Amino acid sequence: MTTDPKGLVDHLFRERSGQMVAWLTRVFGAAYLDLVEEVVQDALLKALQQWPYSGVPSNPAGWLCQVARNGALDVLRRDSAFRSRAPAIAAELTRSTPGTMNESADPVFEDDELKMIFLCCHPALPMDTRVALSLKTVSGFSVQEIGRAFLTSDATIAQRLVRAKRRLRELDVPFDLPSAEDLSPRLDAVLEVIYLLFNEGYASRGGDELVRADLCFEALRLARLVARSARTESPAAHALAALIALQAARRRARLDDRGEIVLLEEQDRSRWDAGLTALGFAHLERSAAGSVMTAYHVQAAIAAAHTSASSPADTPWRDILRLYDDLAVLNPSPLVRLNRIVAVWKVHGSEAALTDLRPLEAEPALQSYYLLPALKGRLLASIGDQGAARHAFEMALALPCSEPEQRFLEKQLKELGARS
Amino acid sequence: MPKYVLLLHDAPDSYSSLSPEQLQQVIQKYVAWGETLRKTGVLQGGQKLADEPGRIMRQKNGQMRVTDGPYSETKEVLGGYYIVSAGSYERAIDLARDCPHFDYGGAIEVRELDTMSQ
Repeated sequence: MTTDPKGLVDHLFRERSGQMVAWLTRVFGAAYLDLVEEVVQDALLKALQQWPYSGVPSNPAGWLCQVARNGALDVLRRDSAFRSRAPAIAAELTRSTPGTMNESADPVFEDDELKMIFLCCHPALPMDTRVALSLKTVSGFSVQEIGRAFLTSDATIAQRLVRAKRRLRELDVPFDLPSAEDLSPRLDAVLEVIYLLFNEGYASRGGDELVRADLCFEALRLARLVARSARTESPAAHALAALIALQAARRRARLDDRGEIVLLEEQDRSRWDAGLTALGFAHLERSAAGSVMTAYHVQAAIAAAHTSASSPADTPWRDILRLYDDLAVLNPSPLVRLNRIVAVWKVHGSEAALTDLRPLEAEPALQSYYLLPALKGRLLASIGDQGAARHAFEMALALPCSEPEQRFLEKQLKELGARS
Repeated sequence: MPKYVLLLHDAPDSYSSLSPEQLQQVIQKYVAWGETLRKTGVLQGGQKLADEPGRIMRQKNGQMRVTDGPYSETKEVLGGYYIVSAGSYERAIDLARDCPHFDYGGAIEVRELDTMSQ
């Protein structure tokens, strides 16, 4: 037995499976997505059967590609549906197998992957289906993992995927990037899906913590892919990549060693990921090209303002409030208005924040969102209204929230008791 | 030192719905397990068997019959083997105990090699 002492690069299977699916989909056509996924899964299973005995090959990614190519050639021999196209497909498989490909990114693969993202985010598909299909085919998530991430049953996810593939077959969608005149709206749709993936991973209230971490980093990978490709590079794509990187940099610091929530102002800033921060600022700089200002730009600027502050006291809250005002214009959602309240609190004080919070309490979209009463509780506690604060925290606790969030609210309640 | 062969019976269906990430994690566990055994010198070797079917040979009434098989009636397929040196069955079982093969429904058959016959 020989084993590569380095073992496997983190997420190698996930990334390569998405790339292999994209590559084979280009060769076979978007109508054969099911078949392609099967070929790729078989290649991964072969590795599982073989590597425990033979050890990890020195070029694991190349090994997987070769096995997937052989699997695809077997399909051509076996399946009469390809009889007329078989020679052309076989030639293309052999020509484009990235056999020497190592750990570094492969430009041919990246091009296929990009096309795959656009296919998954096709306007003929409903939004939740775009998200599920992207995660399955581009990001190599299992149906179960997608279900866990979105608190949706496996059966529902599986059904969405089946319908999506059928729809793509019916429409005979070409596997290519959109034409120049279609690119802008199609790119917006792609960025929106990537943003949703990130948001689900970063801000969602439930689901599996490991899966959510993976969602964040997968969203970052896709945003960077879109931002660095010549065809799709755009200020909005850079802004989205910046936003994701800057927020993901703080991810680790949001929970302490015991898994308890740590508020932004109490986070150990040395635990913010310097590499991701630098990456975020690099994308932020490139997002400034041109005159376009998207909601991603503003959110990235807010994240950057927090990151630049060396201590909580240095946080430029006035700038942040101004940015939230901009954001509320670009995206006047109740959630944005709720987030803005924190900046109002820091700049204008608790009373002003409570005044701005009041109309939000009637918002249907925020009715079951625990953060609204939780924020209200903190505001009320800060002006010394212990009884009303207690009531607000109790309301928050009655709403759906994760276990760390529950413990956080209970801690707030306990501190109220200690003070009164 | 007695030698034991660990015969790994796979339950192939149990892996089919795993995601790429999960498959990679399973492989990494196997590799880590093998690495530990190799470092301590107990792992003598191992090999994957090629996928079924193999051939079954039987002689009846002086006639040799070769058939494809065995197609496992059960869901388990003999996937491969490891050879370990261990002082006793108990020790061999201890070595196999941490093998990730059990995580997904596989079984390991432990057999002592009869070294008397060598």
